Amino acid sequence: MALTIFSIMIVLLLLGFPMMIPLIAGAFVGFYTMLNGFSQMETMVQQFMAGIRPASLIAVPMFIFAADIMTRGHSADRLIDMVMKFVGHVKGGLAVSTAAACTMFGAVSGSTQATVVAVGGPLRPRMLKAGYNDSFVLALIVNSSDIAFLIPPSIGMIIYGVVSNTSISELFIAGIGPGLLILVLFSVYSVIYAYRNDVPTEERANWRARAVAVQRALWPLGFPVIIIGGIYGGIFSPTEAAAACVFYALILEVVVFRSMSIGDVYQTAKSTGLITAVVFILVAAGAAFSWIISFAQIPQAILGGIGIDEMGPIGVLFVISIAFFIGCMFVDPIVVILVFVPIFAPVVEAVGLDPVLVGIVITLQVAIGSATPPFGCDIFTAIAVFKRPYIEVVKGTPPFIIILLGVSVALIFFPQIALFLRDLAFAK
Amino acid sequence: DTWRYAFEEAMDEVQGKFAQKFKEEVEANTDHTIQLFPYGTLGESADIMEQAQAGILQFVDQSPGFTGSLIPEAQVFFVPYLLPTDQEQLGRFFKNSKAINEDFQQLYADQGLELLTMFPEGEVAMTTKEPVNSCADLNEVKFRVMTNPLLVESYQAFGATPTPLPWGEVYGGLQTNIIQGQENPTFFLYSTKIYEVTDYITYTGHNNFTTAVMANKDFYDGLSEEDQKAIQAASEAAFDYIVEYQKGLADSELEKIKEAKPEMTVTVLSEEQRKCFKDAAAEVEKKFIEMTGDSGKKILDQMKADLQAAAQ
Amino acid sequence: MTDKPQSSEHASSLPGFLGTIDSAISRIESVMLAIGVLLMAANTIANVLGRFVFQSSIFFSEELNRILIILITFAGISYAARQGRHIRMSAIYDAMPPGIRKPMMIVIALVTATFMFGLCWYSYGYILTQAGRGRVLPALQIPVWWTLVWVPVGFFMTGMQYLLTAIKNLQEKDIYLSTNVLEGYDTDEQEV
Ligand code: NA
Ligand code: NA
Repeated sequence: MALTIFSIMIVLLLLGFPMMIPLIAGAFVGFYTMLNGFSQMETMVQQFMAGIRPASLIAVPMFIFAADIMTRGHSADRLIDMVMKFVGHVKGGLAVSTAAACTMFGAVSGSTQATVVAVGGPLRPRMLKAGYNDSFVLALIVNSSDIAFLIPPSIGMIIYGVVSNTSISELFIAGIGPGLLILVLFSVYSVIYAYRNDVPTEERANWRARAVAVQRALWPLGFPVIIIGGIYGGIFSPTEAAAACVFYALILEVVVFRSMSIGDVYQTAKSTGLITAVVFILVAAGAAFSWIISFAQIPQAILGGIGIDEMGPIGVLFVISIAFFIGCMFVDPIVVILVFVPIFAPVVEAVGLDPVLVGIVITLQVAIGSATPPFGCDIFTAIAVFKRPYIEVVKGTPPFIIILLGVSVALIFFPQIALFLRDLAFAK
Repeated sequence: DTWRYAFEEAMDEVQGKFAQKFKEEVEANTDHTIQLFPYGTLGESADIMEQAQAGILQFVDQSPGFTGSLIPEAQVFFVPYLLPTDQEQLGRFFKNSKAINEDFQQLYADQGLELLTMFPEGEVAMTTKEPVNSCADLNEVKFRVMTNPLLVESYQAFGATPTPLPWGEVYGGLQTNIIQGQENPTFFLYSTKIYEVTDYITYTGHNNFTTAVMANKDFYDGLSEEDQKAIQAASEAAFDYIVEYQKGLADSELEKIKEAKPEMTVTVLSEEQRKCFKDAAAEVEKKFIEMTGDSGKKILDQMKADLQAAAQ
Repeated sequence: MTDKPQSSEHASSLPGFLGTIDSAISRIESVMLAIGVLLMAANTIANVLGRFVFQSSIFFSEELNRILIILITFAGISYAARQGRHIRMSAIYDAMPPGIRKPMMIVIALVTATFMFGLCWYSYGYILTQAGRGRVLPALQIPVWWTLVWVPVGFFMTGMQYLLTAIKNLQEKDIYLSTNVLEGYDTDEQEV
């Protein structure tokens, strides 16, 4: 049955059906064959609703809204102008700044989708203007946003920690090393890309111009203060920080800069709602599809035939990586963690692997999976927000995925990439 | 046949242990097999409950606290200081109580469910960032509670600022100080790592986490008499097993927490220190009756009578 | 992400009175989208203010956001269908000659409409089941099924949009992505 379902989905996808149809059709076939024809389709609806239930999803429309207000108004321009005055003369400087901004934003917000819109929204037009190719820009934004999974706070690590009985604090710290390594490698690739494609640079700005740019950006610099200060100051959760940004953006653009009218705000809210709906219907359909895969115990059936019990630690880590990589191509990452982790738990213990290392390996695969075709919520978000064709959003990803897979392999052979900081912090 | 059984916790937690024992017993004494679906693999608590009502799942474990939106009377388990902390007395109570085995049986049956058993999962402890020795210490403490009116009422009465927060945000919320406290049974404090982000564990004895195992009623009624007997026997065996398993579980999990975090301060409040919490409980009881009317009051009175009997 | 309100935004391809109803629905959907997003922001901010300034959380805040998310999603999917904004992987489709693209688009629209009507039916059934069980939201104490009313409506309206797209493609010479939008991604990023 699994093979039938996956084949149907791929065919529908390639034929150009709206992306929700392959997911819905996959779920339909699963429900029909597993649960007595059409008799239990209501549970499919239930899982649609369950998919869009998590309170943390609220961050997505809120950051879309805030980013859209900033971009339509002056805030985003002023912030980026400031960055450009400092890095505009460096080849690849803007791309590296974008990757770093995604990492930082992802680190505090904890949401990869929110990062795609909040950082990508304002920065993409500027990168295009600077002469970067759109496929590169989109791939850079989507993949850099996924570093958010590895750098705390990370919902994936929390779920893994609970299911596998592993210290979440240790996981959080162990994620930082691989996260930063990926950022460095992405930056190196960006610079190479800029040289090879000879992306033009701007003239180096003098310190006077830089001072003026900083002064113009003073108000908009309140955004990072609100997000970082608000979350670490215990004023609000990452989800609420998103709404606080909306509030601040409205004050800046409507009251301080007077760049937007109330009518503009209404239009922005509407377009935010539209983008949200387009992404969330896929989240909903993905949840229904993930449910039936979990219910039919398909992962257990597939993994049962591999003979993982005879492998050593390295082999086990490879199997885990591949399983999560493939699983996350199709199924919601949270469900993949919940279903797979208990299956692998006995063998992880038997070969004596450090559960923190396993957690980081898994989190990395989850991060890769959500940016990897065919199905990934960050790809969907980028398509919906930037209004570019699917193929253009994924065309530039291979170099990034190669880097990510390289880090995965490096992590397996050199666990210290993850465990170094952990050992330092917990004196192990 | 293959039967499916979903529960709200991970395989190694109390509900998972119960489910595994139940599965073992059923599979040994009948020619049916049981597939287990732990926390999250088929959805949240409300989802698996609906799936059991729809007959997709044959068995489900849902805590009455979560059943409140479906069966309001089930919120009686949130009335503070109703249940004793003594595990032996609790064991006798759940086994013999008329409220549980007749009244609740009927309430669940009205929802298409056959109540197999209810069992305790241990005393609920508060974990906080600052010491709690009296109600006054909870003043201005943002205390995370599940979205449930009685829990909100309880912590309001205790003097805290009840803060409903989804479970996924609790760990991070404690870390960044959005909230400064939360409550759960001891084994859960260990398994979910909440102890990493709080410094004080306080036992006020205000509640015992209770859970319930049910079968889909149509499924159950359609079984042969032998199968029904085998299921009842399995749930009794699993009940005895889980009561035994939990003896000392809270202590051993607490030891593990202390080992992982030696600076953790654990306090069991004295009778005197508990007084203000107990006084506050009266208000919550009133609120429960206000919310559930006569049928709620009837269950409450019956439970008190049954508890009296179990105390002997 | 810039856009200007267009006069054709709520235009309907239906004739006469039906067209008037269709435009009105489009307007209602767009209002729900905007109000939904604004309310969500206000609600979340109010909760922060309540907790931090007044030491008291809005106990129903999370439930209200959950209701708004359902509203936005299901008002939005039919609005997105109207605007041809649903995500698809069109690489192979785009490579086909127009003579093949047209029948493909008709099939895609009809199959999509069928699934939407199917989901409309089952979500209607789900609401009836919920109503029958009498489940209520724990904090707001309102019946759960009230919060779901927009689900079958959203699926139905989306199904209608795809059905109309199929009809439009049968009638007209050009190829339509939706009732309102001709195929092809715009390069200058206009429209909603
Ligand atoms: Na993060
Ligand atoms: Na993917």
